[in-house]
Amino acid sequence: MGKYILKRCVYIVVVFLIVSFMMYMLYNLIPSDPARAELEPLRKDLKPDEYLMRYEALRAEMGLDDPLIIRYLRWMGLWTDTDGKTFNGLLQGNFGYSNFYKTDVVSTIISPMSNTIFINIFSTIAALGITIPLGIFCAVHKNGKFDQSTQVVTMLGYSIPIYIIALVFMFLFCVVWRIFPVMGMKTAGATYAPGSWEEFTDMLYHIALPVIVMTFGSLGGMTRYVRSAMIEALSMDYIRTARAKGLREKVVIYSHAWRNALLPIITSILGWFLGIFGGSVVIENTFSLSGMGKLYWIGLNNNDFELVLAIQMFYSIVSLVGALLIDISYGLVDPRVRVDK
Amino acid sequence: MASNKKEFFLVRWFKRLVVGRKEVVDIMHEEQLQTPFKTMLKKFLKKKTVIFALTMFLLIFAMVLIGPKYWVLDLSEQDSTLINLPPGYNMMSIPDSMKGKVSDIAAGGTYGLGIDTDGHIHTWGTTRITEKIDLADIPEEVRQAKIVKLAAGSDHAVALAEDGQLYVWGNTRLQQGNFTSEMKKDQKDGWNITQLEASTQFSAVVTDEGNLYMWGNKNQSDINVNKKYQGKIAKVALTANHYVALLNDGSVVYAGSKAKGNPLSSQPKEMKGKTIVDIASTSSAVAALTDDGQVFVWGNTVRGEEKIPEFTSPVKNIYGGRYHFTAVLEDNSVVSWGNNKYKQTDVPSALANGEKEIVGMYVGNHQNYALTGDGEVITWGLKGFLLGTDDLGRDMLTRIVNGGAVTMTVGAISVVIATIIGVLLGGLAGYFGGKVDILIMRIAEIVGGLPFIPFAMILSAVIGSRLDSNQKMYLIMVVLGVLSWTGTCRLVRAQILAQREMEYVTAAKAMGIKEVTIVFRHILPNVMALLLVDMTLSFATCMLTESTLSYLGFGIPLPQPTWGNLLDGANNSVVIQQYWWRWVFPAAIFGMCTICINMIGDGLRDAVDPKSNER
Repeated sequence: MGKYILKRCVYIVVVFLIVSFMMYMLYNLIPSDPARAELEPLRKDLKPDEYLMRYEALRAEMGLDDPLIIRYLRWMGLWTDTDGKTFNGLLQGNFGYSNFYKTDVVSTIISPMSNTIFINIFSTIAALGITIPLGIFCAVHKNGKFDQSTQVVTMLGYSIPIYIIALVFMFLFCVVWRIFPVMGMKTAGATYAPGSWEEFTDMLYHIALPVIVMTFGSLGGMTRYVRSAMIEALSMDYIRTARAKGLREKVVIYSHAWRNALLPIITSILGWFLGIFGGSVVIENTFSLSGMGKLYWIGLNNNDFELVLAIQMFYSIVSLVGALLIDISYGLVDPRVRVDK
Repeated sequence: MASNKKEFFLVRWFKRLVVGRKEVVDIMHEEQLQTPFKTMLKKFLKKKTVIFALTMFLLIFAMVLIGPKYWVLDLSEQDSTLINLPPGYNMMSIPDSMKGKVSDIAAGGTYGLGIDTDGHIHTWGTTRITEKIDLADIPEEVRQAKIVKLAAGSDHAVALAEDGQLYVWGNTRLQQGNFTSEMKKDQKDGWNITQLEASTQFSAVVTDEGNLYMWGNKNQSDINVNKKYQGKIAKVALTANHYVALLNDGSVVYAGSKAKGNPLSSQPKEMKGKTIVDIASTSSAVAALTDDGQVFVWGNTVRGEEKIPEFTSPVKNIYGGRYHFTAVLEDNSVVSWGNNKYKQTDVPSALANGEKEIVGMYVGNHQNYALTGDGEVITWGLKGFLLGTDDLGRDMLTRIVNGGAVTMTVGAISVVIATIIGVLLGGLAGYFGGKVDILIMRIAEIVGGLPFIPFAMILSAVIGSRLDSNQKMYLIMVVLGVLSWTGTCRLVRAQILAQREMEYVTAAKAMGIKEVTIVFRHILPNVMALLLVDMTLSFATCMLTESTLSYLGFGIPLPQPTWGNLLDGANNSVVIQQYWWRWVFPAAIFGMCTICINMIGDGLRDAVDPKSNER
């Protein structure tokens, strides 16, 4: 197992390098000249040849004339910086400088990232807590009235884009019933002591609707998946054997069928987990929450590509590590699966 | 068969069209006669929900396919008088209580005001200007007074009572209700108003002594009156922000203070020396009628106002709307010309032929009201919008239909791209196995593993920054295609791995057929049915992704509509609550469309894969 994980980690590193290089190349397609941008305010005060000299010097200092691969390695932290001695890149914790926020990328990312993770954890727990029992119930009572109506509702859930669901929920909860605020992360103008209970509850109150919408949006696919995996498992011969042995129906369903149905479900959770990160771009924009998705959107809209690149790297790492975790949990759930062969 | 009679006739007809006439045969016989394809189709068409979804989808598809020819999209379309109108066709529906006793009508931007012969005011159309201001809320003092004349501006209404008192209601925040001191003085002396007019946030009255008084919002409009014309003015014609006056001596002047360089002050040369008897105005042009029945038009005539038709008899009076003119001739026939976008110039044939006697003609914005001798009011022009308008005054129906065409085209083409890539790579991986397989599946894993929407966003932003709307549409197709082939690839690979072991492949191999040919000519047709299911389902997914990208502003840019960017800007409580038609209709039709496609896809899968039927 240890050897397998090690192998996968090497694989992750290689893939990460490839993906990040591709992203870096993409980023370099944008016509931009940071040296010129930095010198622009001084342009009027300098003579043309002096300006040109300063410009060339700045380009050399920034390393803009070096080949793409060297610039990439430098950005990654695998090549010495322009001074030839120190390493200063992603691996050293330097994620770049945000042109839009005028600070280090790291400090701009921290608070949105915690918000996004906070929201996603809530909706993940809620969605799994609803979909798994619902899927099992539908599979056990296959083709019943409840099952059929659930099929229709889940069909709505995955056919309708998440922003339309968000609009409908906004209309119901914010306009008609006036339960939740339309947007934002906290009550406007309110000041709470940092870390206080009031601040926490206020935030909960504001993210409640986004979490409900995200949960509802992810219900459809997951419920159907759990249901079909359970039906598949329930149709197996060993279920008939278990029933013939006179086991209680609960044991048959939860111990025999469910554990076998888990396997395909775990695979789909990966895709769904990533979908949450992607989907949060839409949700955070619609509800004006300051999360990673919103930050990504702002960065792209303001050509702040160092910020965008850093977030993109975050997404890539989440997906790669997620894949590894899923593969490992495969082995844990089902002893028959030998991932390390 | 008996069960056949219960089915809806369309369903029966559709079945007969594709499956053929059903003949009574025993089950064994029937099974033998059918090809697998026919069996699938029969199974597919057996479910009522699937038939329903298919019909709905075909209807939407037909609407989107044919619709753009009828509801032609004009990307530069914009009309400040038609902003955020609710759905409905009530803009020219005169209330029953007023029918038969109409004495005056004033046509405003989206509403109408009328006085009956008792002096009471009636309103119709969209009278709500903002959340608070509604022109239908007529002040009590106006209700009590006996009103003789009415004028409707863009957001305010003016009424003249029998005793010479003026009333203003509606939006009065920009001085629409502040009368000038000269007016008040003249009113005290007892005035006799011959003309009452209102336009964009300003109003005008002309008295029988030839005095013109104007009041309202001075910031946008030139509403000063040159002193030297005072006392000689017979009539005024108000454009959106200016006016011209007809003097008692039969000449037309620009009587305001901004005459220099104004297109309204450069009158046609042929008109010089002629006596003018009537004037009328659109939002930017003026028409004048000479005593010998000739009509001249000048000003800013970009919408066809200058294309004066041939008149069959001398013109009696002329009237102006926002972009069109209407003229009543001596023989009682009515002619309209100018912009015909809302059918403002399609005069009903009874009026065009002069069959009715015309006592009053009221023209405003895009509406025409003709009052005939027998008390009937005949209308033509803009009635309203079936699905309302958006924040730039554009028809939602046109935008939904055209947006659907874009979204569906993008979805279909990106599915085709994704399928081609997926089938090629999946076929290669599945058949050759080994290193090719590992390499391709690793690539698929990476591409499929990346979070889709952020990745598509960055591609669209980086590559698309220098592209125009059309090129961006192609870019989105390619981006979606290139990012969503992995599912198809995996499906084809798995199918081929299973099919490779079949006897017919062994037979083909024994005959010495090339491996590539075996994959694409022998195995692929067997995978076709499943591929079709996959394509249907990913068609819906691609449409969803396109619309999500457009909603976020990284897809197809405005003003080109798509089902995604129609909802852009709808996520605030004002739009959600007050302008519900701006998000409900696009959301409903789009949701309906994707639901139908998914239902068709599910039905197809049930028909193709008998095992899934049991689930």
